[in-house]
Amino acid sequence: MSKKTINIPLGSQHISLLEPVRFKFECENEKIITVDSDVGFVHRGIERACTTKFKFDAIGYVVARVCGLCAITHSLSYTAAIEKLLGGEITAKSKYLRILLLELDRIHSHMLCLSHTCENAGFEAMFMRIMGDRELVMEIQELLTGNRIQFDYISIGGVNRDISSEISKKIIANLYEVKQRALGYMDEFTNNWSLSLKFKGIGALSLDDAYMLNAIGPLARASGLNIDVRNEIEYLPFDEVGFKMQTHRDGDINARNLVRLNEIINSIEMCNNILEGLPEGAIFTKLKGKPKGEAVIRFEAPRGELMYYVKGNGTAMLERVRIKTPTFSCIPAFSHIFVGENYADAPAILASFDPCLSCTAK
Amino acid sequence: MFNLKKYRKKSPWILHYNAGSCNGCDIEILASLAPKYDLERFGVVNTGNPKQSDIFLVTGPVTLRSRERLVELYMQMPEPKVVVAVGSCSCTGGVFRDMYNVEDGVDRYIPVDVYIPGCAVSPELIIDGLVQGLEILEQKTKEMEKPLKLFKESTCEEGIVNRRDTALKVGKIDEKN
Amino acid sequence: MKKIKVSLEDITNEIQGFYDYKKWHFLTLNGLALEDNKLEVQWIFSKYEALDEIVIYYAEIEYKDIIASIVDIIPSAIISQRELVDMFGVQVEGSSKGLYLDEDSLQAPLSGCSI
Repeated sequence: MSKKTINIPLGSQHISLLEPVRFKFECENEKIITVDSDVGFVHRGIERACTTKFKFDAIGYVVARVCGLCAITHSLSYTAAIEKLLGGEITAKSKYLRILLLELDRIHSHMLCLSHTCENAGFEAMFMRIMGDRELVMEIQELLTGNRIQFDYISIGGVNRDISSEISKKIIANLYEVKQRALGYMDEFTNNWSLSLKFKGIGALSLDDAYMLNAIGPLARASGLNIDVRNEIEYLPFDEVGFKMQTHRDGDINARNLVRLNEIINSIEMCNNILEGLPEGAIFTKLKGKPKGEAVIRFEAPRGELMYYVKGNGTAMLERVRIKTPTFSCIPAFSHIFVGENYADAPAILASFDPCLSCTAK
Repeated sequence: MFNLKKYRKKSPWILHYNAGSCNGCDIEILASLAPKYDLERFGVVNTGNPKQSDIFLVTGPVTLRSRERLVELYMQMPEPKVVVAVGSCSCTGGVFRDMYNVEDGVDRYIPVDVYIPGCAVSPELIIDGLVQGLEILEQKTKEMEKPLKLFKESTCEEGIVNRRDTALKVGKIDEKN
Repeated sequence: MKKIKVSLEDITNEIQGFYDYKKWHFLTLNGLALEDNKLEVQWIFSKYEALDEIVIYYAEIEYKDIIASIVDIIPSAIISQRELVDMFGVQVEGSSKGLYLDEDSLQAPLSGCSI
């Protein structure tokens, strides 16, 4: 056997990629030895525009356009930071409605990731099934907010739309359906032989490496690392609505899928709890003043921890908005996992990370 | 709505490229290929290969690093081809207009046939836009099938034969006569 | 949120002494353009399984200074350092340019001088 290595590029345009990212794999026979990645294809310059172009009350809708999948977490984090600086208190009802949409977003994002993993493993039928069921969640998101992807639901001081009893009935009915389907997938992902060939034992990350490389989100939880920002913040009452940390020990693709499925089921429970005990009251309080001082806010996006650092100087223009996105801090861990795997598994491993490059590059 | 027979002649394959969008429109393209909206009933197949595709779906304002790839992909596609700009930011730059790393809109680099507005675009609009794109594709195919014909007499001035403007498309002859 | 000021020379020693990889989670590296052509660099950490416990180490530097790398202590800091180099036009040990920006795009967009 020769020791000669081959360079294989993946991207920037590829059928298995939704977004442009370029990986350059150096392979020895089938094994990947080194990985080089280029993630800057989607860099647009949002951080600078936030401090030069837009006033602080509009930025909540601008930062939602950092990423379409976790749009709600972006606008929520920014809004929470501004509310912290303005020093106002928002109503309990709007807090619960925010959690509701956050969890609905997580459900549809995880379902998209699961279906994408199946597609990249070559299981087209499963991809179609999950995508079809995902429309149940999209329907209720559209009912609740008026749009399917970019919601623009959260504004400084509360939320923009109230919920009616018909909508809440429809949400409960659809979520019941989604839960039945999710339990079905759980069976499929654990027991299907051909899926396990592509998933079990492949792309594993050990617990020690997860600590070392600061992995976050489902990637870290699949390795047994207890990191979930919903557990570490007191801004929104996640423990009241029944949040449970989901972890797994194996750290491979299958473990990540199972963590995501468990989170879907947990999120559905949380949504049901919220709708059962939703308090009465206003959905909006007017906050006055201009932001002054600095705030660090973290939230759990579907892909992991999202951090906003906001600094204001008492005028309508902010001094600095720093966005630290989940995929950005996971990239060292991604490169580490690829080393030593077969090249043929690379698309499936990549899909199981659920990378979000428009988050990464901003 | 439209005559299915007419469009069954060709099953258009689409190529999708993200030139810096927020992912929202890309997810909606994926959703419109999935069971509920089901673009595949028109024979639309998502392919990753530019050399086999007829319709080019572009999302996003063009970022500086993705512009070469965009033009390269466009050049690699065989004629006839249709370019569909999906989303507000690929039509005009949208919310990203005037940001420092963004060129405002796809039509600064490649000719666009159909513009689909919306942030994010709804799958219904994508289907409408693609169906309109199919019409344009049909027109372009017909245009290409028309033979070239020399109809003008070549002129001779001072012993030099000039055959300029002798080649015109057949359609134009009809207008002139 | 706790803010600790350090000098640029001490930063690796300080973080070496503070950082326990099973207790603390490295969030990111942040830059902040100040007046008088100065720059504040922040190293932000949070504690695992604790409620809102965030520690920020920060240093005020000038643009010509070379920032020490902490990749030996925290391997995942490499990507944050590359971003800092691109966005502020400063130098960090062992980090190259070109994560986001091309040669013909606006250089150092977030530094105070280019606004």
